[in-house]
Amino acid sequence: MSLFQSLVSPFARGSSAPTAGPAKLESVPSLHPLDEIKEAADAFGLVVHLPGVAKEDLEITAEDDVLRIVGRRGWKCPESWIPLYRESTDVPYELVLRHDHALALERVRAELKDGVLRVSLPKTEAVKRRKIAVA
Amino acid sequence: MKLVRYAYPTPRNFSPVYGALPRGPWSGLENELDRLFDSALSGSAAPTAGRFPVDLYEDKDNTYVRAELPGVNREDIGVELVDGQLNLTARRKTPAADDQPAQIYPLNRSVTVPDAAVQVDKITAAYENGILTVTLPKREESKPRKVTVAVK
Repeated sequence: MSLFQSLVSPFARGSSAPTAGPAKLESVPSLHPLDEIKEAADAFGLVVHLPGVAKEDLEITAEDDVLRIVGRRGWKCPESWIPLYRESTDVPYELVLRHDHALALERVRAELKDGVLRVSLPKTEAVKRRKIAVA
Repeated sequence: MKLVRYAYPTPRNFSPVYGALPRGPWSGLENELDRLFDSALSGSAAPTAGRFPVDLYEDKDNTYVRAELPGVNREDIGVELVDGQLNLTARRKTPAADDQPAQIYPLNRSVTVPDAAVQVDKITAAYENGILTVTLPKREESKPRKVTVAVK
């Protein structure tokens, strides 16, 4: 389905992204978070794993045809702590999704709980399937 | 410290039902390529299913283990110290959707902790914003000691 395809994060990333496309965070490395998109009849459901991100460190912006989710990790390693072994990184999470204006952005709802962001992206009325009664 | 380096998971092991979802044919490729490069550059291909990233820190009184465990209920997290192994277990429950029943996805990781260096009865754990922090207080004997020796 073309609408669904358009929601999937663009294949091209970083320097290979099209110049007209969304600009990444200014030369700051970012981590592509784990994300999952499901489609229901009247909305898309987006689940993003953002461990370590608190509500105030999360930024969701919608401009033009791009929905951008940026999450920064609020936790800073205290100075007395010595890192012995690291597997996680401190870079912010960034997820950029492109859509084709078929989303009712004014009705988007987002909930962040225990490091998991759930966003409901309702479709606009024009896109929803409608049954037309035959007279 | 017996640990195998963690590689960030691909969508394929994000949830057990992921393979059945209607995704675009190329949507997984990006992650697969990233993973391929990561594993090629790090020299070891780490299996990621059911694992999660773990960080270790220490200061003068404690050793800290921080684990990324997003989307898990507090009661589904288990922290156990058995024979010098700190076992972290969790169950991530995906809520039931219209066409899919609820799924439970087990996660576990263990870290080797020298028993003799930790005050076993004073271990504490906290869970916030999807990060589990386990604090392991050091025993007095294993703390770095400063001894001043008088020179005659």
